[in-house]
Amino acid sequence: MAFTLVTQGTFTQPATAVNQIIPLPSGADYFVTTNLTQMATTQGTGRVVRGEWYGGGLFADNDGLRWKKTNSSSAINIDKFSTSTASNGFTYVRTYPNPEAALTGTTITAANPAVATVTNTYSEGDTVVIYNAVGMQQISGMTFTISSVSSAGFSLVGLDASAFTTPATAFSVRRVATAARVKPQFYYVTSVTHAAQAVVTLSQAHDYVVGQAIEFMVPGSFGMVQLNNYYQGQSKPVIITAVGTYTITVNLNTSGYTAFAMPASSGSPTTQLFATVAPAGQQATFNPITNVTTGYNFTSVPFRSGLFIPYMYVYSGDQSPGGSASDVIAYQAYKMETGTINGSP
Amino acid sequence: MTFSTGITGIQNMAPELPVQASEDLLSTPQFNLIHSFGVDLHHAESYVGKTTRMSRFERLSTDGGQLDGSGIDPAAEVPVRTDIDATMEIYAKSIVTNEQVVLWENSKTLTKFTALLGQWLREKEDLLMRDLFSSSVSYINCTGGLNGDQPSNISLNDVNNIENILLGNDARSMLTDLEATRRIGTAGVRDAFIALANTNLCADLQKVQGVLLKSAYPTQEGIRPEEYCSISRFRFFVSSKAAKTPGISLRGNTIYTIPMYGLEAAAKIEQNNYTAVIGYRPPWVVSAVAQNSQLYAKFAIARAITNQNWISGLNATTFTAS
Repeated sequence: MAFTLVTQGTFTQPATAVNQIIPLPSGADYFVTTNLTQMATTQGTGRVVRGEWYGGGLFADNDGLRWKKTNSSSAINIDKFSTSTASNGFTYVRTYPNPEAALTGTTITAANPAVATVTNTYSEGDTVVIYNAVGMQQISGMTFTISSVSSAGFSLVGLDASAFTTPATAFSVRRVATAARVKPQFYYVTSVTHAAQAVVTLSQAHDYVVGQAIEFMVPGSFGMVQLNNYYQGQSKPVIITAVGTYTITVNLNTSGYTAFAMPASSGSPTTQLFATVAPAGQQATFNPITNVTTGYNFTSVPFRSGLFIPYMYVYSGDQSPGGSASDVIAYQAYKMETGTINGSP
Repeated sequence: MTFSTGITGIQNMAPELPVQASEDLLSTPQFNLIHSFGVDLHHAESYVGKTTRMSRFERLSTDGGQLDGSGIDPAAEVPVRTDIDATMEIYAKSIVTNEQVVLWENSKTLTKFTALLGQWLREKEDLLMRDLFSSSVSYINCTGGLNGDQPSNISLNDVNNIENILLGNDARSMLTDLEATRRIGTAGVRDAFIALANTNLCADLQKVQGVLLKSAYPTQEGIRPEEYCSISRFRFFVSSKAAKTPGISLRGNTIYTIPMYGLEAAAKIEQNNYTAVIGYRPPWVVSAVAQNSQLYAKFAIARAITNQNWISGLNATTFTAS
């Protein structure tokens, strides 16, 4: 029964290390990472230089074997990531992830950006759903990208809550899959400016591109219902003219529209939620003189799967297989040639 | 410890395996396949790339246009075309069968495995279309229900709100009307849009004001088994695998997503000759001693929301927490 190398490669951690998703086209029965950067160093706190994961149910989620250099030497200790002192390891993901277990937070500030206080183990750029936000129910059920993450909380850059009447005094949060099942996806709208070309802020870091067509769904409770297609004179899709990490600029003059405002918390649960925007194709232009096509991104615009499943979720960190800032990590995945130890990919 | 003396009787002789195969295999469970129902089917040719483009010209402006007799034409209008692209993806599943299985099991094994692969093929396709609906469409939370959650359980007001949106966007209904007959207790069902719901919502659907359960339709002829009821301008089809997200409503309950749409709202694109490929790899191809054979199924699919204005939907919780 031959064992086959199904994929290999390297990744380099950015300045703020993030968890990595490694697609595994035919599943895996064995996965290994080697930290090529830390192999050559001797750190005072020691470093995980190699991580291994065996299939067949030998390891729970977020576990595996860690090969760890001991403090200030190159001697190796091997144990499981779950061994005290535990650190994050590998999670082999076979199905689209459900929301993780809920955490209970204490406050979300009425500020720009809103800052949430909750003891957590989340990572920079993770996607979360916040719900039951007492005093801030207008965001309950909304999905956010989180940043400036610490063990005590994170920022919601996509939410300017400075106009909210009250901060949230308690809330629940669950981490969810970073990517939607299908891309391009819909997003939640948190603000829209009054401008000749309106700037729309989304609750998540988005992957929309210039030239992409979109359609708004804005309930009356958010004010600016004129964004809805049925209010538009010619029913044409709205076109994105510029993008930021959390913002899109659109070809709509909203100067005369009703102001966009998140509804009051007190309106829940009967206030209609949410204002959203969804992909509606694209309108590219081609200049026959310069032969330049603008407004189209062949990678981002077509409808396609958002997440390749199965994949290996490789956690980042000094004591984790994904390594820390600027580390170069090599990885390989192996699989039985016929069938799989796991029984099912 | 005792040892056998070699004399065997009914008390200590190991019985033969007391099994015999019943003449028929039992049914393999299969969920309702509702998510490809009502979407447009397009075909992609070979050798021309893996992205399919569907294009639509937007209608011309009806503003102005009056001639004033001066001989000067009204301003010409540049037609706007919207392109909807979808990337082809291939999915596959295989079953490895040891020769002993084929040799010793009853002769239905390979036949049944082939049927399993065929079932996987259609189920996978259904779930891929479900994922398209749940990821790339805007939904509004139900608020007309009385369970105190956000979103609430489904109500007539919520359904009517989506009807308003679709009609306001000039969406066309998809299902033709069912004319009233003289059957007692039945009424006509008018032309309708489609709504897709999780089976966990059935109890709540029954309670929506004005609901017409399928049994009260004027005819059962041509009605799909997946259909559950009619509310307002929508006919509801249910599946146990319809979209849901656990634990994220205001009260931490499961949210169910209900796509509601009319004609030409979404598309499924099949690669010509790759709609359903089922094959068999004989054992001597795989192994020197010809042990393992392999059955496989694969198909190619691309999917897209082709008109975002003609599809919308509701997020709902159940009246009783689920």
